[in-house]
Amino acid sequence: MDPLFLLLPLLAAMAAVAADRNGARARYYALIGSALGLAMLPLAGFGTHSLTWFSVGGTAIQITTSITPLSFMLLFLVLAIGSLVLAYSFGFMDLPSEQRRFYTEMLAFEAAMLAFAMSGGFILLFIAWEFLSLSSYLLIGFWHGREKAVAAARKAITIVLISDIALLAAVVMFLNVYGTLSFSSILAAGISSNLQLAAMALLLIAVITKSAQFPMQEWLTDAMAGPTPVSAYLHSTTMVKAGVFVVLVLLPLFSAAGMMPALLAIAAVTIAVAIAGTLREHQIKRVIAYSTVEELGLILLAASVGAVFAAIYFFFAQSFYKSLLFFGAGNSMKATGSEDLYTITGLGSSRLVKYTVLFGALSLAGFIPFDGFFANFGIASAFAANLAAYALISAASLATSFYIFRWFMLQDRKPASAAVATGFLGLPRSMTYPMAVLAAATIAASGAFFVFPNVFGLQGISLQSYAGAIAAVVETAVVAVGAVAAVLFYTRKARVNKTAAVASAAPTRITIVAEATNAIYAHLAAFVEAVARGFAFFDDWLISAYDVAGHVSVLTGSRLRRIASGSVNTYVLVFAIGLALLAIAVVVV
Amino acid sequence: MLLDYAFMASVAALVFGSVTLRLASSKRAMFWFSSVVLAVILALTLLLQYTGGSATSMGILSFNPFSLFFAMLFTAGVLLVNTLAYARARDYGNFAALAALALSGMYLVAFANSLVSVFIGLELMSLPSVFMVLLSKRDSMEAATKLFIMAALSIATLSMAMVLIYGASGTLSFQQANEGALVGFAFVLFVAALGFEASVFPFNVLLPDVYQGSGAYMTAMLGGVNKKVGFAALLQVLILLFITLKADFAVVAILAVATMFYGNLVALLQTDLKRLLAYSSISQAGYILLGIAVANQAGVSGSLVQIFAHMFLFVGAMSIVAWLESKGRSDIDGTLGLYKDNRLMAIALSIFLLSMVGLPFTTGFVGKFLIFLSAVNSGLAILAILGIINSVISIFYYAKVLTSMYTAKVGGYRIRVDAQTLAVVGVCLALTVLFGVYPQPLVHLAGSASSYLFAAGA
Repeated sequence: MDPLFLLLPLLAAMAAVAADRNGARARYYALIGSALGLAMLPLAGFGTHSLTWFSVGGTAIQITTSITPLSFMLLFLVLAIGSLVLAYSFGFMDLPSEQRRFYTEMLAFEAAMLAFAMSGGFILLFIAWEFLSLSSYLLIGFWHGREKAVAAARKAITIVLISDIALLAAVVMFLNVYGTLSFSSILAAGISSNLQLAAMALLLIAVITKSAQFPMQEWLTDAMAGPTPVSAYLHSTTMVKAGVFVVLVLLPLFSAAGMMPALLAIAAVTIAVAIAGTLREHQIKRVIAYSTVEELGLILLAASVGAVFAAIYFFFAQSFYKSLLFFGAGNSMKATGSEDLYTITGLGSSRLVKYTVLFGALSLAGFIPFDGFFANFGIASAFAANLAAYALISAASLATSFYIFRWFMLQDRKPASAAVATGFLGLPRSMTYPMAVLAAATIAASGAFFVFPNVFGLQGISLQSYAGAIAAVVETAVVAVGAVAAVLFYTRKARVNKTAAVASAAPTRITIVAEATNAIYAHLAAFVEAVARGFAFFDDWLISAYDVAGHVSVLTGSRLRRIASGSVNTYVLVFAIGLALLAIAVVVV
Repeated sequence: MLLDYAFMASVAALVFGSVTLRLASSKRAMFWFSSVVLAVILALTLLLQYTGGSATSMGILSFNPFSLFFAMLFTAGVLLVNTLAYARARDYGNFAALAALALSGMYLVAFANSLVSVFIGLELMSLPSVFMVLLSKRDSMEAATKLFIMAALSIATLSMAMVLIYGASGTLSFQQANEGALVGFAFVLFVAALGFEASVFPFNVLLPDVYQGSGAYMTAMLGGVNKKVGFAALLQVLILLFITLKADFAVVAILAVATMFYGNLVALLQTDLKRLLAYSSISQAGYILLGIAVANQAGVSGSLVQIFAHMFLFVGAMSIVAWLESKGRSDIDGTLGLYKDNRLMAIALSIFLLSMVGLPFTTGFVGKFLIFLSAVNSGLAILAILGIINSVISIFYYAKVLTSMYTAKVGGYRIRVDAQTLAVVGVCLALTVLFGVYPQPLVHLAGSASSYLFAAGA
């Protein structure tokens, strides 16, 4: 059966939400739709299906779907985490007036990502890609009364639409070169012409933009202005994962195009910039947003050296702990009413909240037996042969462990007031229970490390081998050092205040890169505007040449002359100049 | 054959009926009369399409898939604008009569079998249009005068081109011209004259002034319908007369690129919504011209789809602008918080604008996709890349309007929308989405129109 049927429950839920006049039942419809999709997932068997959308001049434009183990994994993540996110939203989005719009947009977002995950060719991929951009734009700007949210949404849509158009260009070129757009035929055909290289370059632009890789990373951290459930979803399984997913699916093509070194370089710079961001930021969500950028960089890094299994497993494992941590951030914000790490306290007031968040932090840092350990271990062992690379990866691990425990310890300080404590204790169950599920998943997902090699038919990584054991020990030691350092550093109150001041004062060399990227965007915009001004000047000139040409009006009626003189004459002049240039062009051609 | 006569009889009924009714009757009767007759004509063109449009030749008129494609488009466009004008026009009676006259001119261009029909048709369209602009707004004298002078210039240039062609080949019927200096200059003159009619840079520089200076419903007519007549003429002349002179099409490509850049870059700086859409429509004309520059059947098919798409997008967007204008909100700030004032209008305008960028499942995507694809397939990837760069630029100004609509504002209240605007927006939206989701019939129509044109040109 064509897996497009998986979209039906979501579309039906959207219709139900839209029809729900006062929005009281919108959330139930949304959750039921998503859960139903998850329940129906096993019905989607492996295989490829094609549906002709339209055909033009003998070329059929086909909507191809394909279910492979990889896409099945993503479908599962999208539906499972999507359902948890929707459940979490029950408590987080508690204003009745925003229910209908929120759940409609969330369902659209989920449906777009589902369509993306099942796409087996570029047409469906492009459509889903575009609708992902749009629905994320609506969700990032969801609180359109807040200036920051509107600015962030605009930045996101502008940057992300660039990726869409780059993708469209690539799609058109692929269709020209291969005569088909299904991944399997394109992968089989390989790369042989310059046009294909150009198409791959455009695809690379699309991918790094969508996945917020350097130099396009800045839209993602600004996108934190959206509601927290959106952030949790956007960072764990949807949207940003789309870019790296395309890389994983089409990796042989990137390899054939000789783009692996470029991927490696982009990933390495992204990781450095992102880590600098995590260490500098105060805003609770922005820290873990930069951390997502880093993780996407790591997936790309593994892919760029051909460590496919490590990349896929990281992709899988990251979804659980990252959505968990965003839920945690949402809880802290809801309970304390603050977004600044240095003013948030009292995470420990509710044990359930504290320990689930701790699970997420331990997993992200990479402690055994959480899935984050295996994810990091996979990446590290891909670089085990190269000592310098291995050292750098370990340094990144150390920093990761440090920043996530900084993030955790700052929140876990003694509650500043009784109100904060009751805030945490008063969190609705819909916000805490999904966290418990995800916390359990961070351990359960470790099992996948041993199952995936068989499922995907890939070479796994053995823990028992000598190098594997060493790597595991080294990694544990590294993350432990990072964690201990953070704990020591951020438990004393005086220290905390001091570092707050220091952190905001001195930008390091790498954080300058992040700011420079923003500056580059600004310069680029200024450049385009300058060119535009040139054209506008031309337009103005037409109007201001009015006085000069006004005397030679071709018309005699005095009223007509007054009105028509000037600009019309210059229009005539431009018409004539255009005509002359055209004549010259024809002669030359 | 019967259908052909029925068609012509209906057009005659429309013209004479409107002109007579204007003297005698009420606005309401006038509206229903012209709407019903236009609907009948639309049905007849569709029927003619369906029965094959077997290229019957009636003297200077030819009923073929190409002409029927445009006849259908013009009828639908005027039908929509007529509805809009009923709600907005200061002097609806005169508008309807003039629109009927202009439409008969458009049909002459669409069904042209020789340059004479094109010439007379453009004349017959331009003159009433000038007066329609004049009547559309209190202070539209300037816009009307500008339009008149430029249209006169364009017609004069066209006649010069025809003189040259007649001198070179001894006929004014559509027939491939031979290589030669005279023909080269005729080509240039045709491109300039019809380039004005189709809003091609640099022959279009007055357009934004005219668009801004007219009532918004009239802007919908000019940008949505009149400019498409320019393309109908341009396509016929370029393909039927000059397709064998492939080298000259490089000039068309240059103009296409210049038009796209001009429209998009200047649009970036606009603050008036009508002016912004004017420049955006210039850039869209650039995309359409890109398909023509490819100079093969696939490219022209793409252009035809894009022409279809843009007509409904522009008329739809302009009807919302006309509605805003009637509330005294004609600049971009006028869209501020539109989502709060009227959700349906905000969503419709978003879809129109996004479709202009090329959102999938809307007609705008299909047109752009086919044009870019044909360019790449013909080894003109550079043109596709330039087109795509332009799409990127256009995002910036469309995003400005989009963001403004969804920005919350203090105060604001539900603003009701009149039935006519609602109907027009609804139809445009439905067609945009319908043929975006299921493009096959549209692609098929455009394909048969363009293959007819190339078969006739060969």
